[in-house]
Amino acid sequence: MVPISYYLILAAALFCLGMFGVLIRRNALVVFMCVELMLNAANLTFLAFARQNGDLTGHVSAFFVIAVAAAEASIGLAIVIAVFRSRGTVSIEEIRTMKH
Amino acid sequence: MEALKQVLLQLRLDPAALWLIIALPLVGAFICGVFGRMLGRANVYLIACATVAGSFLLSVSAFLAVSPLESSQAVSMENAFSTSAIRYAFGYDYGTWFSTGTFRVNFGLLVDHLSGTLLLVITGVGFLIHLYSTSYMSHDEGYWRYFAYLNLFVAAMLSLVLADNLVLLFVGWEGVGMASYLLIGFWYSDTAKAWAGRKAFVTNRIGDFAFLIATFLIVLLVSAFNSQSNTANFTLVGGNPETAQVRYREGLQMKGPVAFQGLEVFANGMHGTAEKAQGGVSLETPIAEGPLKDRTFGGVLTVALLLFLLGAAGKSAQFPLYVWLPDAMAGPTPVSALIHAATMVTAGVYLFSRMSYLLVLSPTAMVTVAIIGTITSLLAALIAFAQDDIKKVLAYSTVSQLGIMFMGVGMGIFWAAVLHLVTHAFFKACLFLGAGSVMHGNADETDIKKLGGVRHEMKQTWFTFMVATLAITGIVPLSGFFSKDAIFHGIHHNHLHGYEWASGAIYYMGLLIAACTAFYMSRVYLLTFEGKRSPEAKIPHAHESDWRMTAPLWVLATLSVVALFYALPLMPGRGGVMQPVMENFLGPVFSSAERIASRGGQVALDHSIPSLFDYLKAWVVALTGGAAAAFMYLKFFPARAGQPAPAFARSVRRFTQNKFYVDEAYEFLVIRPVKNVSAILYKLVDTLLIDTVAVRGTAWVTTRVGSALRYVQTGDAQAYAAVMALALLGGAVYALIQVLK
Repeated sequence: MVPISYYLILAAALFCLGMFGVLIRRNALVVFMCVELMLNAANLTFLAFARQNGDLTGHVSAFFVIAVAAAEASIGLAIVIAVFRSRGTVSIEEIRTMKH
Repeated sequence: MEALKQVLLQLRLDPAALWLIIALPLVGAFICGVFGRMLGRANVYLIACATVAGSFLLSVSAFLAVSPLESSQAVSMENAFSTSAIRYAFGYDYGTWFSTGTFRVNFGLLVDHLSGTLLLVITGVGFLIHLYSTSYMSHDEGYWRYFAYLNLFVAAMLSLVLADNLVLLFVGWEGVGMASYLLIGFWYSDTAKAWAGRKAFVTNRIGDFAFLIATFLIVLLVSAFNSQSNTANFTLVGGNPETAQVRYREGLQMKGPVAFQGLEVFANGMHGTAEKAQGGVSLETPIAEGPLKDRTFGGVLTVALLLFLLGAAGKSAQFPLYVWLPDAMAGPTPVSALIHAATMVTAGVYLFSRMSYLLVLSPTAMVTVAIIGTITSLLAALIAFAQDDIKKVLAYSTVSQLGIMFMGVGMGIFWAAVLHLVTHAFFKACLFLGAGSVMHGNADETDIKKLGGVRHEMKQTWFTFMVATLAITGIVPLSGFFSKDAIFHGIHHNHLHGYEWASGAIYYMGLLIAACTAFYMSRVYLLTFEGKRSPEAKIPHAHESDWRMTAPLWVLATLSVVALFYALPLMPGRGGVMQPVMENFLGPVFSSAERIASRGGQVALDHSIPSLFDYLKAWVVALTGGAAAAFMYLKFFPARAGQPAPAFARSVRRFTQNKFYVDEAYEFLVIRPVKNVSAILYKLVDTLLIDTVAVRGTAWVTTRVGSALRYVQTGDAQAYAAVMALALLGGAVYALIQVLK
């Protein structure tokens, strides 16, 4: 059996990948995908611990996260499309309007 | 006659309906106050008078129930605190009003001979004054406000009298204070009158505060007595001591510590000295625990009674808090008659009569009450000498008469003080209403120097005013003579242990006061009604008032004559000696006080009847005062002839006219320091600390911090995400450190 630390390290790597993607990439669509990446890193952690402890709570959480991620993705994409229609761009730098 | 008796016997109020007596005027106040303007003048008059009249009828029925015409129908009610029933009383307990811990207060009403008498005075005189007001206020736009306040006053006064515990009494006590404030400042657009109302309110507040503290002390005292007393105390209460103690404890649980019935048992169970107590609690026993630890029962009781005295001094206008009453004349005249002469100001006398059993335990408190009464009475009588405003003279006369009542209460002659309260309510209300009638008929002229000769134009007012003047002066066949003389006789013959000198000293001061009363009352009567009309009068001819004003005058004048019946020794008393009717009538109310006094130790109460020589002495005193006034004002100082009075008279006059500079002394000693301190507090605490630092400072800091932090909001989603990531990093590092530890 693969030790749990492998899963956790993989999850941490995925999470950092997602996080830096969110921080650095300019394209809103890519940022979205990075967010999904972070969510899945969290899912992986849940499942790893669930497997180690042998109970189902982690699985339930993971399913819940998947459902929320689906909802979030659909709304997020809708927003991105709406922004693209009104501004002609999906670059985060260009849509900085909500400020002081 | 027999048929009337049968009808009266049928009229017996059900105890559970006692609340109606209070509720009727309260409903009247609500209707007049809220819908008065819509209803119009006549309807407001009708409602205000009808509610008080209804209350009067209920009071009559309650009075008849406690003092039936046939002895077989005598009522008695169960005493929650004792196995022996309370005779000649009935009451109703509407259950818990509020409770916290072991302390509780019930909403209970009680009618006995004392409160029954007061009920009749309040609603009866109250109704007459309502009737009078319908004519007196017929030109005033604020009539609905006026009648709402007047009804409110009657309701509050009735709850004061009907209350069977100190807390409910305090509600009425505060209620009458508020109604009095509203009515003194009734014409509030006149600044001086509004200030007079405020002065009355503030002065009363000082007294009310003392009243509250005294109530708290009583609560502590009763709970200490409950935990420390033993069966040796309850041998005095009557019946089997153990049952009595159990019953008392049950009573405390059921009705709380401030009920009058419980206080009565408490007073009865209290021994005078440690030797007599035989292990029980006495006045000399120190309290074992609580905030009053190591203080004696007697000492705490004296302090509580002295605080009650300060409270009563505020409400009943006694020295040093009497200053508000003369200024209270700013209100409409019927208000002065009802509130500031007949009813509210006698609340202090009522309070001490109600708690007579506590008072007789403390000669120190009694002598203080008597001395305060004497000082007040003499001071006010002297000030009344030189006042030219007819209402001011009557106001000082009220203060002086209240002082006489306090002298009586202080020296233990409770029944006479209550009788004087009743007769004073009649003749002083008559005098005030007469003064109002004079003002009404003379274009609101109040200066007696500018009136004169009114008797020819206002025959009815003149006659009734004269009767009332004779009554207050103490001329023989009128009630004032008997009630005042009964007080003075009692003062002379009762003894307070440790203060034996008080009986004689206060008695002779009393005679001096009686002479002064005769002097200033004759003066005001002579200058107003006799002689020629003053050339400075506002209108050349006075006109008599209409029947709604004169009818109450006639009724009150008649009452101030026939009330003498109550002072006549017609009833069989102790040891075959005849007893005055009022003493006999109020006997059940003061029986505990008598019993405690008869144990000896604190006070000795006397029950003799004044001899003819005593009567003669009082009569000569009154005549001397009156004759002196007649001599000075009709012959010696014909004030209206323009001749200057002698120099000594002028300097004395200036001194008394300025009210002995008491107001100025208060201004200098109390008001100005308080004002200066409040000015400093206002500038330092209010303006600087609260306004500038606390209120505006908070706003300033928030604004500044907000505008500084505004620049953090860049609108760049990735910058926000970076902050979140940094926070996450911080959390992770913190968790790592914790794990590594």
